Amino acid sequence: MARVGVFICHCGANIAGKVDVEAVSEAAINIPGVVYSSHQKYSCSEAGQKVIIDAIKENRLDRVVIGSCSPKMHENTFRKTVQQAGLNSYMLEIANLREHVSWVTADKDEATKKAMDLVKAAVGKVSFAKPLTPGQVPVEKRALVIGGGIAGIQAALDIADMGYEVVMVEREPSIGGRMAQLDKTFPTLDCSACILSPRMVDVAQHPNIRLLTYSEVENVNGYVGNFNVIIRKKARFVDERICTGCLECMGKCPLKKKIPNEFENGRAPRGAIYVPFAQAVPKVPVIDKEYCRYLLSPDPDKVEVKEGEKKPKRKCGVCAKVCTQGAVDFNQQDELISEKFGAIVLATGFNLFDHSKYGEYGAGKIPDVITALDFERIVNSSGPTEGKIVRPSNGEKPKRVVFIQCVGSRDEAKGVPYCSRICCMYTAKQAILVREKLPDAEIYVFYMDIRAAGKGYEEFVLRAQREYGANYVRGRVSRIYESNGHMVLKAADTLVGMPVEMDDVDLVVLATGSIAREDSVELANTIGITTDNHGFISEVHPKLRPVEVPREGVFACGACLSPRDIPDAVATAGAVAAKVGVLFSNDILMSDPMVAEIDPLKCAACGACVSVCPYSAITMEEFRGKKFAKVNEAMCQGCGTCSAACRPGAAQLKGQTDEQILRSIEAVLQW
Amino acid sequence: MVENPKFKIIGFFCNWCSYAGADLAGNLRLTYPADLRIARIPCTGRMDPLFALKALLEGADGVMVSG
Repeated sequence: MARVGVFICHCGANIAGKVDVEAVSEAAINIPGVVYSSHQKYSCSEAGQKVIIDAIKENRLDRVVIGSCSPKMHENTFRKTVQQAGLNSYMLEIANLREHVSWVTADKDEATKKAMDLVKAAVGKVSFAKPLTPGQVPVEKRALVIGGGIAGIQAALDIADMGYEVVMVEREPSIGGRMAQLDKTFPTLDCSACILSPRMVDVAQHPNIRLLTYSEVENVNGYVGNFNVIIRKKARFVDERICTGCLECMGKCPLKKKIPNEFENGRAPRGAIYVPFAQAVPKVPVIDKEYCRYLLSPDPDKVEVKEGEKKPKRKCGVCAKVCTQGAVDFNQQDELISEKFGAIVLATGFNLFDHSKYGEYGAGKIPDVITALDFERIVNSSGPTEGKIVRPSNGEKPKRVVFIQCVGSRDEAKGVPYCSRICCMYTAKQAILVREKLPDAEIYVFYMDIRAAGKGYEEFVLRAQREYGANYVRGRVSRIYESNGHMVLKAADTLVGMPVEMDDVDLVVLATGSIAREDSVELANTIGITTDNHGFISEVHPKLRPVEVPREGVFACGACLSPRDIPDAVATAGAVAAKVGVLFSNDILMSDPMVAEIDPLKCAACGACVSVCPYSAITMEEFRGKKFAKVNEAMCQGCGTCSAACRPGAAQLKGQTDEQILRSIEAVLQW
Repeated sequence: MVENPKFKIIGFFCNWCSYAGADLAGNLRLTYPADLRIARIPCTGRMDPLFALKALLEGADGVMVSG
């Protein structure tokens, strides 16, 4: 006969405030199999755990039920507790009396009755519990970092410096990400490229890092310590092993000034063969197959040629002709690379809000209304205007520059409800840069609130106002329209409560907010994790586990989690590296023992389980002429679908057997 | 009909979505009638029709499967 001990936790007043814990504890002693019952203020505290351990030893308990918070909160804590008392850690069942009872029930009596029922169910279930032993799986000590922005770079370098192999996958032709596009960084006004480029080079040269640019993750399988990942290395049409980075080819491409360069936010052109920017890593060009004349012209070998007619020739091919190394290879194909990893790091970054939704700001059609990212490129000395701040419409120096904050951010009607966190700061920085380059310009900043929480941030905004003469006006801009070669801007000054009309505005810079990448949900599905309702990757716990995601062995850092600035992105990248280090400090991981097993004596070899298993973890085996199904424990994820499908009851999910569940139903309704 | 009838409804909730959702309801302090008794199952795939029948045979007023 089972000897069950029941421990009811008050959780301070969280449970005891609604549930009569004494009554539940007293009633529990009458449940079949229960030989001990008590209640404590905080079961999870050291003192509370000691009570449990002592009671197990003194009363020779062989099973334990704890009525407390959700098992998602403290199941692992209590597994360790019962283990300390010498029991198998799976001889434990939690009755969820907080999240499922006290916090959601208005009436005290009803809450107490419900709590009793849940305790009965837990006793019923634990009565049929069997000791379980975790399996052991080896850890593949290699990490995959997805995304080569500053967060991915920092995470990759830190993990590689610990001595582990890292593969970095970057979708674009070069690593560097958003930070590479910026001119200066707040609040120190460090040149962005100057502090980033050395890190990019470190990644390329690190003996433990393998860099796969122009590549994407296609498929992820497996589990913590043993992920199988398929990476698509897109055809670059330039052999990375041969190319010396002389870039002679780029100068000869007939399309060299015809295609908008994404890196320059479309403000400068590139060719069909290009590196996105001068400091690109790797410094190996890519041929854009959407534009390249050679690749778009028909393949002579595939064209049917009538007799007497000449075979058509491929067009262009100039880049191949000028390359002294013979690195251009028009026959290159996409390559699928299959790799094994123990951990996956997501650092896929963010996108910027598309301001064409703002009709009142010209919907993207007024040339002198630009985004902050456009401004970064324009003010950058390697950008389209070589660092001269000019009006895109006529190339003249602007005399009156207006910055508008919160475009897309904090706008539930047209944009997103959240604050993008970086816009107040980069606007102050850009105002300072305007003053440095255009000493006579008038600078206005329209803002809703200034949010400058960070080291040296508030001081930086004050400097923009006091030392650099940026005029901050609190209020929303309601309309911008063109007039006489300039722009007219209408707004409200909410501090003085007056409408504002400003004419002769030459340049408007919109502080567009940060949004999730448009394919973030797709990526999350590929990896088997979730996003929030804005498309940002969800963490396990926003406060206590901010860089772990709900699939074990997968971590995230940087702005793919939520909008954040460079210091925060770098800090989370370091945190991720530490987490990966902790994981890789294990040679062997304990696998969850709650997996399916199939009794070969009961198995009728009908194959129903094989066909329903979503993880292909069940195969048919044969022994001495008898067929039976067998579970691969390493692949089984413990969903129990096989168990539900099995007619003879041969397939059972350990820890969730038919017996256990049926008894718990009976306990609620009959006991 | 009795006013405010009290039912016993047995819920079979997937650990990953609905059970976590019920936890979230608790975290948000949303109140709902106390008639529901939630059993945590690892996946709705585990939901054997037998469980629903057993619950009804033992006198449950309803069965709720969510996942």
